[in-house]
Amino acid sequence: MVLRIRLARFGNKHVPFYNIVVAQARSARGAKPLEVIGTYNPLPKRPTNLYDENVNVRPFKEIALDRSRAKYWLGVGAQPSDPVWKLMSMAGLVEQKPATWNKA
Amino acid sequence: MAPRIQSRRVSSTLLPYLGPSLSTSIPSLPSLPSVFSTFSRSFSATAPSQSKLRREMFEWLDGPGSELKHHKPNRTNYVSQYRKMIGKEYRDLKQYPFPENPTFISQSILSLPLQNEIYKRVVEEKQTVREVSVTFGVDMRRIAAVVRLVELEKRQRSQGKPLALPYARAIHEMVPTTGIARNPDQQKMHESINDLPMHPLTGAQMFYPVPESRSFTRVDAGRVFSGAPAQEHKIAEKWSSPHHVAERVPKRPHLIELVGKGDNARQVLQPADARIPHPQLIALERDLAKYPDEPLLVEQRHQDRLRDQAEAEQKQREAAQARRERKITSVSPQESRFDYRIKEVAFTTQTTGRDGRAPWAPGRRYGVPSDDRKRGMRKVPTRVEA
Amino acid sequence: MRNRASNSLSRGKIRQSWSKYNLFNLHRYRVPFNHNRSFFQQKWTAKATARAYHGEQVRESQWKRMFSHRIRSVIPMNPLHLAADDGSRASAGRGSGLEGDAKQPQITPYTQMAFAPLERRLDVAIFRAMFASSARQARQFVIHGAVTVNGQKMRHPSYLLNPGDLFQVDPERVMFATGAPKNKYERRESRQLKQKDAAEETVNPEAEEKVGKVEKADAKESSRDNLQALVVQAKSILSRGKNQLPAKRKQELRGFQKAVRRVLSRSDRSTILTDSLEAQFSELTLLLKTKQAEPKDSKAEKPVPRPSEVEENEAVPGEVEEEPFASDKLSEAFQQAAQGEEVDSSGLTKHETFALKRALAQMHDNPLDSTKPYATPWQPREYMSAFAFIPRYLEVNQNICAAVYLRHPVARPGLAEVPPPLATRSAPRPTAGT
Repeated sequence: MVLRIRLARFGNKHVPFYNIVVAQARSARGAKPLEVIGTYNPLPKRPTNLYDENVNVRPFKEIALDRSRAKYWLGVGAQPSDPVWKLMSMAGLVEQKPATWNKA
Repeated sequence: MAPRIQSRRVSSTLLPYLGPSLSTSIPSLPSLPSVFSTFSRSFSATAPSQSKLRREMFEWLDGPGSELKHHKPNRTNYVSQYRKMIGKEYRDLKQYPFPENPTFISQSILSLPLQNEIYKRVVEEKQTVREVSVTFGVDMRRIAAVVRLVELEKRQRSQGKPLALPYARAIHEMVPTTGIARNPDQQKMHESINDLPMHPLTGAQMFYPVPESRSFTRVDAGRVFSGAPAQEHKIAEKWSSPHHVAERVPKRPHLIELVGKGDNARQVLQPADARIPHPQLIALERDLAKYPDEPLLVEQRHQDRLRDQAEAEQKQREAAQARRERKITSVSPQESRFDYRIKEVAFTTQTTGRDGRAPWAPGRRYGVPSDDRKRGMRKVPTRVEA
Repeated sequence: MRNRASNSLSRGKIRQSWSKYNLFNLHRYRVPFNHNRSFFQQKWTAKATARAYHGEQVRESQWKRMFSHRIRSVIPMNPLHLAADDGSRASAGRGSGLEGDAKQPQITPYTQMAFAPLERRLDVAIFRAMFASSARQARQFVIHGAVTVNGQKMRHPSYLLNPGDLFQVDPERVMFATGAPKNKYERRESRQLKQKDAAEETVNPEAEEKVGKVEKADAKESSRDNLQALVVQAKSILSRGKNQLPAKRKQELRGFQKAVRRVLSRSDRSTILTDSLEAQFSELTLLLKTKQAEPKDSKAEKPVPRPSEVEENEAVPGEVEEEPFASDKLSEAFQQAAQGEEVDSSGLTKHETFALKRALAQMHDNPLDSTKPYATPWQPREYMSAFAFIPRYLEVNQNICAAVYLRHPVARPGLAEVPPPLATRSAPRPTAGT
């Protein structure tokens, strides 16, 4: 069986929120995973516009990640899904996928 | 067409602008009907009871209440002043907005020049908040708020956003204000700056026998209230004076002793000297008593203490900031419109609980129903990040 | 939620509102006579009175949930006393303290603070900061999206403010809430204006191209028209308010009419100065400054009064004679200034120059604008001053209609920061000195 690191959707309608989970590839999205190793909030937050220094700050998205557990699961052969790959590459845990590779 | 000061715009405004008191309103506006005309019929002798009250109301509004209709610049104008109260002078009553509540008085607000002066001193002259607070007798939190608000005002003015200037002028005429005195020595203090918040532990009455020969100070009282054991004799001799505590604790708050174990550990209640916002003023008073003939030395020592305190606070702030930043790394990819803030968390037995689904664990939980549609569950946010 | 906020006179409840009905209720309210009433009856009235004022817009279940046993209070400490005594004197002797005749400390009014948690609500805080004329109106502002907390729109009136939160209300709404309403003539005027505008837009959409050429002539024409309309208006005010107007005001109006006629007669010769309002304004103030500098040397002894001092003149009868308000010269100079002509301020006293300058500044801030939903120029609404106070736990900047919630309200010896309209009788009235 393949182990995957993937996103599990929570939250409400129009308010998504994801747990980053390690699960069997064939298990259901909402099923209990082997382990939760992080969260991802895809709704961008904006810094308050009250101060001048915030004028040019970009909106940001929040990721919480347990690096040591992520490294361990990658080490034993868990395969990140594409969105998780993107997040993990930003955290510096995996190489960035080439853009053409994504499209193919 | 570019906007002009047009005659239409100008001339009718002349009336309020050039009066004796410039922001009182025009009395020529059509006012309420002076006598409320009751719905009366010739054949009915009794008026409905409701209209009696209304009639009384309009009689009062036209009579004694007419004083309240328009504000009187630079003095308060509350109902209490127009009620017959025996033995009370106008001086006593002018502060009370509610005639039946003597414990609430209308306190003064900062005048606009004072607000600008505070901003100038903090932002342009780089004085510390602590200094400005002592100079004008304004709470340090209020000073921080004034700086924020004046800065926001400047920003909005530069952006050309609408402002409520006549409104501000009117409010500052209605409400008592604290202004700047021409002579700095006569500056009126705005509020008490050394407020000691009442600690819940001190609410209970305690009986604690002490030998008559022993000196029982505020430090000891704090230990008794928080249930800490009495200090050893040697340490007590050295550190039991509240003045020592006041000098030590604000600079190194992490050194405060703890009582209790594990989750129940609490800090020992510190004496008032260490918990008031301006402990350095106590040391200043002690110096003044100690060296009455050497004002320069006293001033020098005071400035040294202020500088030390400012440095310690700055160090604490930087350490806290560094601690926050160590946890969070920000990534801004070129191709994305967004930044990504990656926070380091730990999913261990401690953070998620033994079964992995403790309520305080990071992430959404499995195996528990989502309660957000239940009755009484509050979806109102509890805080807004600034 | 049923709206019980209507100020009924028969019930006589006091609400968080600035209406005149509420003012009358506040005026005639007396603590009920409780000697021959049962405990239940007393409790019922007490709750009804408190509920009507504190959080009348809050549902009962929510209201009940809000209270806390923790009542905050502070004790102001004097550094002098703390420096002189380390606390051992209070426990010396037989434990009752050496200072036997110490002053009896004032009672801290804890009972008044029961409703402190409600003051954390956003709608109540907006009302307390005097941005709305009632808590209900504040609630409406929040729901309609006119309020931001820390720069983000907040649509929950029940949001509980945290210390340090900055909330801001749209200044237009605040001006509407606190300003005098339009009378029916002004309402009709603005309605007609609106209809006229709508009609013009539909009739000649292509007129805009021609505007550039005709503009200058038009401007003069319209200003003439406006002036004439104003004279008519002044006349109508004179005739309408024969009984209401004080004699001085009538004189002023007549002087004003004269001034306008004079301006009308020579307005062909006058040059309208600059295009932008701002430039005109700054030029005028500059002009006044230079004019004022000249006569300053001759009578420099008298200090220039601050605006607040001048406004106090009404209360001081001696000074009113010194400064005859709105003399013909002054109003004429004002007229000139407003028309953008050379201001002849040499004939004015210093007081008058000062008043003129201030009047110009105020005219600049507070223009006549019939598109606004309140009477312009803006004036505070009637009976507002009777309710005007700002508690210390808020720091308010009225210019931008923003306020910071500094801390939770606290009680201190003799004073409570939460304003219930009535207090228990046990609390003694503080002396004037405190």
